[in-house]
Amino acid sequence: MSIPAFVQRTALAFATTLLFNLPLQASERTLDSANGPLTLSGTPQRVVALGDSALDAALSLGVQPVGTLASRGGNDVPDYLKAKAGAITLVGSVREPNLEAILRLQPDLVLASSELSPELYAKLSLMAPTVVPKGNSFEDWRITYATYAQALDKAQQGQQRIAEIDARSAALRQRLPQGQAISVVRWNPQGPVIMSSHLFVGQLLADLGLRPNALAAAQEKKPHSDVLSLENLSRINADWIFLATLNPDGRKALDDARKQPAFTRLKAVAEDQVMTVDGQIWSSSSGYLAAQQVLDDVEKALLD
Amino acid sequence: MPASRLTVAKALGFAALCLLLLCGASLLLGAGDIGILPSFHALLGGQDDDARFIVFELRWVRTELALLVGVALGAAGVLLQAVTRNPLAEPGLLGVSAGASFAVVLAINLGASAASLHLGVAMLGALLGCLLVLLVTRLRGVGDDPVRLVLAGAAFSGMLGALSSLLLLWDQRTADEMRFWVIGALAGRPLDTLEWSMPGLLAGVLLALIVVRPLAALALGERVASGLGHHTQLTRLGTLLAVAILVGTATAAAGPIAFIGLIVPYIARRLVGSDIRRTLALSMLLGPCVLLLADVISRLLVQPYELPVGVVSAFVGAPILIAVVRNHRLPTL
Repeated sequence: MSIPAFVQRTALAFATTLLFNLPLQASERTLDSANGPLTLSGTPQRVVALGDSALDAALSLGVQPVGTLASRGGNDVPDYLKAKAGAITLVGSVREPNLEAILRLQPDLVLASSELSPELYAKLSLMAPTVVPKGNSFEDWRITYATYAQALDKAQQGQQRIAEIDARSAALRQRLPQGQAISVVRWNPQGPVIMSSHLFVGQLLADLGLRPNALAAAQEKKPHSDVLSLENLSRINADWIFLATLNPDGRKALDDARKQPAFTRLKAVAEDQVMTVDGQIWSSSSGYLAAQQVLDDVEKALLD
Repeated sequence: MPASRLTVAKALGFAALCLLLLCGASLLLGAGDIGILPSFHALLGGQDDDARFIVFELRWVRTELALLVGVALGAAGVLLQAVTRNPLAEPGLLGVSAGASFAVVLAINLGASAASLHLGVAMLGALLGCLLVLLVTRLRGVGDDPVRLVLAGAAFSGMLGALSSLLLLWDQRTADEMRFWVIGALAGRPLDTLEWSMPGLLAGVLLALIVVRPLAALALGERVASGLGHHTQLTRLGTLLAVAILVGTATAAAGPIAFIGLIVPYIARRLVGSDIRRTLALSMLLGPCVLLLADVISRLLVQPYELPVGVVSAFVGAPILIAVVRNHRLPTL
């Protein structure tokens, strides 16, 4: 089964070579990574995706990685990628990738997150070409996604995927009420934290013509605020509040929040404009599949 | 001695005044936009809805909770230091805090959600942790040796703490809900926390009042106490039970809060000497004082955010303890 796919890919690579007549070897490409330009050749066959965004990119481009990390706040592949990922080997957690487990998989490409430490990079790049996207989680998600796509030898497909999201956002924007303020919040009983509006989800929401809440817009350096005092809970107020929960049971997080009178006093709560969403997508991932889910959630909340 | 009685009365009055002032500060100061004047106005019956909500629904509740937890920790500290005759004894050392935390981590890990957990689980864990320590020392027939008791407590606290950490590392979901049970906090506790913990506090204080007289006799030596007709074994057991109930209640209500139980007895002894009948009363006033001070600071330090009081209590407590230690000859037990 894998042979025809391989033949296909090789044929495509040949065609490209003939067409452009530039690269010396099949599908040689140079991509811009956090560690400078990185030249890769050939279509990778054994990809290890370290992080949800890398896994999202690979799966959305039809590549089945051989290994990945358990996502933040879970012991497994993030729920939204589980079906597509199938039986994939876990090689540690986001906090602590296991180098030996990665080596055992004999990868020919490692897709890391932009937060990979220099020490780990040094070791991983001895095993296989290791791609660390430029910037950090505040980078335009398209750039990160395109870097992964390029590394996977799917640059063109990657651009198509990005264009799909942009087209869907533009279409959805036409149907949404404009200028609505949105806040994305992670609920803790002692007080919530608000997610910065400059991350992946914030970028998508801005494309939809939705406004960030002031406190979220002010989080320019950190992915989320510190724990807000309950006295200042009104600062998470917006027309719509999305409660991101790492718990599969979102209902429970909302019930928890509703027990706190400071929460039920919020205007959005009183008007029932609160929606619980999957925190693995809304607060810690990015990519094509995550974007589709975020757009689904927004559509469901604001239009149904 | 009328002169010394006067000092005791003075010290108690001073502590009560401090407590009153700190309660006021706790109601008037916060991390939010409602400053001192609007809060004061709301207290006097002002009609501003936001100010009334923040003063009465948020600050009032956490002030009450601080009072309860402070009294429990202050009393537990004095009792434990007296019964173990060890000035370094701290409620955390008896396996009580670690037991409560571990019970809750385990419960969440097994699928319970933090909010639906009743305080009962934490209190049960506190008692079990304490009983475990007592049982081990008893089995070896060395239960009367307070130093061994504290050592066994330290060992179990370390072990239970490691088990909690293990569960946290293993299950990231638990880690998110659990932060509270690692560092205590007074804000945002469920509204029924107070009703739930009140019986625990009352039972603990009642038991403390019963054992305080024989405990004072015990301070004069085993023989004296027996000679005065007190049952020394029973006294020790009763005291430890009171400590377990008090610390279990406090931990269940506000998570583990370090240092209060250690420093409050020191301040008390510094003010009124080492007679436990006096230090117990004074500690029950000073405990909430230190906790309220820490809580008010926790709101003002990083506005508009807050720090958990479990972090601040150590920052507030350490300088006080150092001042006590530096200033004078250490008051002995």
